[in-house]
Amino acid sequence: MKNEMKYCRKCVYPFATVNLHVDDDGVCSSCKTFEAFEEIPDHFWDKRKERLKKLIKETSDNNDSEYDCLIPVSGGKDSYYQAHIITKELGLKPLLMTYHGNNFLPEGDSNRDKMRHVFDADHIIWGPNIEVLKKLNRLGFKRMGDMNWQNHCGIFSSPIQVAVKFKIPLIIWGEINWDISGMFDPNDFMEFSARVRHEHDLRGYEWYDFIGDQDDKLIEKDMIWAKYPSDEEILEVGVRGLYIGNFFKWDPNEHTKMMQDKYGWEEARQPFERTYRRMSNLDDRYENGIHDLMKFVKFGYGRCSDHASKDIRTGYMSREEGIEMVKKYDHVVSSDLYYWLDYVSMTEEEFWNIADTFRDPRVWWIEDGMWWKMNIWGGSSSYGVVHLNEKQIKSFNKKQDEIT
Amino acid sequence: MEEKLVCVLDYGSGNVGSVSNLLQHLGINTIISNKEKEIQKSTHLILPGVGSFGSAMEKIRKNLPMTLIEDDVVYKKKPFLGICIGMQVLANYGFEFGKHDGLGWIEGNVEKIDSGDNPLPHIGWNNVTSVQESKLMMGFEEINDFYFVNSYCFKVQNESNLIAETTYHKNFASVIGRDNILGVQFHPEKSQGAGQKIIKNFLEYK
Amino acid sequence: MKKNRVIPVLLLKNGWLVQSRGFSRHQNLGNPIDAVKRLSKWASDELVYLDISRDNIYDTRRDDQGYKNISSFLGIIENISKEVFMPMTIGGKIKNLNDIEDRLLLGADKVSINTEAYNNNKLIEDAAKEFGSQCIVVSMDVKKTELGNRVFTKFGKEDTGYGPLYWAKLMEDYGAGEILLNSIDRDGSGEGYDIELLDQISSECSCPIIAFGGVGEWEHFKEALDKTNVDSVAAANIFQYTDQSVYMAKKYLSNNGCNVRKPDLLKI
Repeated sequence: MKNEMKYCRKCVYPFATVNLHVDDDGVCSSCKTFEAFEEIPDHFWDKRKERLKKLIKETSDNNDSEYDCLIPVSGGKDSYYQAHIITKELGLKPLLMTYHGNNFLPEGDSNRDKMRHVFDADHIIWGPNIEVLKKLNRLGFKRMGDMNWQNHCGIFSSPIQVAVKFKIPLIIWGEINWDISGMFDPNDFMEFSARVRHEHDLRGYEWYDFIGDQDDKLIEKDMIWAKYPSDEEILEVGVRGLYIGNFFKWDPNEHTKMMQDKYGWEEARQPFERTYRRMSNLDDRYENGIHDLMKFVKFGYGRCSDHASKDIRTGYMSREEGIEMVKKYDHVVSSDLYYWLDYVSMTEEEFWNIADTFRDPRVWWIEDGMWWKMNIWGGSSSYGVVHLNEKQIKSFNKKQDEIT
Repeated sequence: MEEKLVCVLDYGSGNVGSVSNLLQHLGINTIISNKEKEIQKSTHLILPGVGSFGSAMEKIRKNLPMTLIEDDVVYKKKPFLGICIGMQVLANYGFEFGKHDGLGWIEGNVEKIDSGDNPLPHIGWNNVTSVQESKLMMGFEEINDFYFVNSYCFKVQNESNLIAETTYHKNFASVIGRDNILGVQFHPEKSQGAGQKIIKNFLEYK
Repeated sequence: MKKNRVIPVLLLKNGWLVQSRGFSRHQNLGNPIDAVKRLSKWASDELVYLDISRDNIYDTRRDDQGYKNISSFLGIIENISKEVFMPMTIGGKIKNLNDIEDRLLLGADKVSINTEAYNNNKLIEDAAKEFGSQCIVVSMDVKKTELGNRVFTKFGKEDTGYGPLYWAKLMEDYGAGEILLNSIDRDGSGEGYDIELLDQISSECSCPIIAFGGVGEWEHFKEALDKTNVDSVAAANIFQYTDQSVYMAKKYLSNNGCNVRKPDLLKI
């Protein structure tokens, strides 16, 4: 059936979820990876902590720098947790490093800057020039429906450059990003790689794809922060990126509480409009906002589905409650849209004209000039006016026929 | 300096594409052809080949203008490189699936590899060691692994035609040559850096 | 002497590169092409690329990325052959000589045949005659049953009733150039190869055997090379866990006395 939306039977992820695999039993890869982590008994976590210590010792033998490791941080709850593990539990001296994409909420600024007050660590911040960032916001949105590409690029490029420059062989990342789609299992002990960065964080684009636009002119020198070191440079220093989530049991709700109590970490002052959680993504006002709205526009699900799925798995919420949350939040057009339109000098109409070109024909269909899709709670609903011209509508419908 | 033009001889052998891709990757003018005019225009000829001796010779006789090519290579001394089966057909006879006539441009026969207890076909990366100096093997250090896929090998009649050997239980000829006529048992187009160097050296022949 | 090959295997399922566990659980890793570029950069000895899709739908479900979403397997191979700098074996869904020819023309050096070798023995014989034995790899999947090891086909679902040694020797007689020997029980387990199985087959067959199924550490490669007569060692999942994985594997094996090519990076 056209545009039928199937859902994982345990969480609320649609089959359309990015990078998700659903096996024949109807349970998605994200649930299965979570279950694999849950099956690890406590004493195995002790063994995993020992494994981390051994890996740290291995890299320290090659370490010419004065820092034991580099921690890429945003100032979020995860960053605090990573810094806490490294400095307090393992007694190491890290270099903290932040990519500043100019989208921090005020409480995000404050959390970030507090880090070197509460941790024994030096902190480098690398922020590209604001005009370059505005251009990338516009280009990212027009080209791939993601104004936040610059953020993902910066976060996953600049720290590795710094590690290579400072000759620090160990980078400590936090959550296994990919448990969101269940790409890897606990015993894979997966490490940071250029392929995962290029394909998933940067979605197949690199800095050189943004040079040469007629309206938003950028040159190579504007994109130095966006480059990734070569294999030769990485091997010379012996840089490896390990994920704390492989060695310490990850529970975001518990971590938040711990970071608040120990270090005065602050959660969002205002509730987010597109999700019920308040402890995520303070480093970027658009991550839960219009960046994520674009995920909904493309694939029909949003950040709330991500959060609810995680909370269903950890038992904080039932699937029914999760579905209620999805119904309430996934589709919301949040007010940061207007903040962004002002930032990049675009009108709301221009925004929707571009956004609608990214609607996925596997999920959406057009009826009476409105966008429609199936819902997880049953039936279908309309979600806004179609902002495409006739030619674009024809092309959309043609694509839909080809795919389904 | 004369502009180089390599013709990869097309007689219905599977790997003309890979050879030509490598040449293009190196920035060399390349054509894949069996047409007389284009063969004549070329400065260098490459004969690739996979499969068996007998079936290759049959296709060569059927699909290539051999009188012209023989004249070009044997008499006019145009540089010629045979790869894998393309090297083996230079022999007088090949003994794979019966006795077959080869081109006879380099004296010798093609026989099954004596691999002892080792598995056949001989598939994978093996070392090639020069037994005499040659332009083709110039600039290689001692350890040079090239990619081979063969069950048969060339037994030269004249030691002067043996340029380099490879060991697999016993030694067998991996590079042979007589003046401008050269043959390599391995696949340069699959041998990464080492293979590229061989091709570049081949292009130095005039 | 000839080196033992260390061979990365890429598994393609419906347009996604995947991890496989026990032939029943899969995890999407990414698009079909990028991983090939990385493996080329790390001077891999060979590449085995297997299509394990249960049907003919190839769709990464999004069109907003920096690469094409290619909707056919042959289309995918065509794109891969532009990025692959080592010999490549293509397997999956090969039913007849035309299928083999299509893949060879698109850039494959060898093809791997599994289920169809059982459905139609003559295919291997005919293929070896037409294209040469060295082009034909027979891939076999082995599972432990109450009656001992058995060869399974159709993605590990159907028991052929044959033991692996009988099957391997039969395929060799028919003209297979190499055998890719996989253990279904070990698939994605990270617990190491089924050494007993590898030893049994590699000591009796005269064609090269490629070990597959179960690698969780570089040490497992060494174990197979030290304890059995396998010609080559292959793995799928593990090469996607770390950067410069092939380089690090060869570094480990070289440093520990194995007869493999030295680690290298290509200038691509």
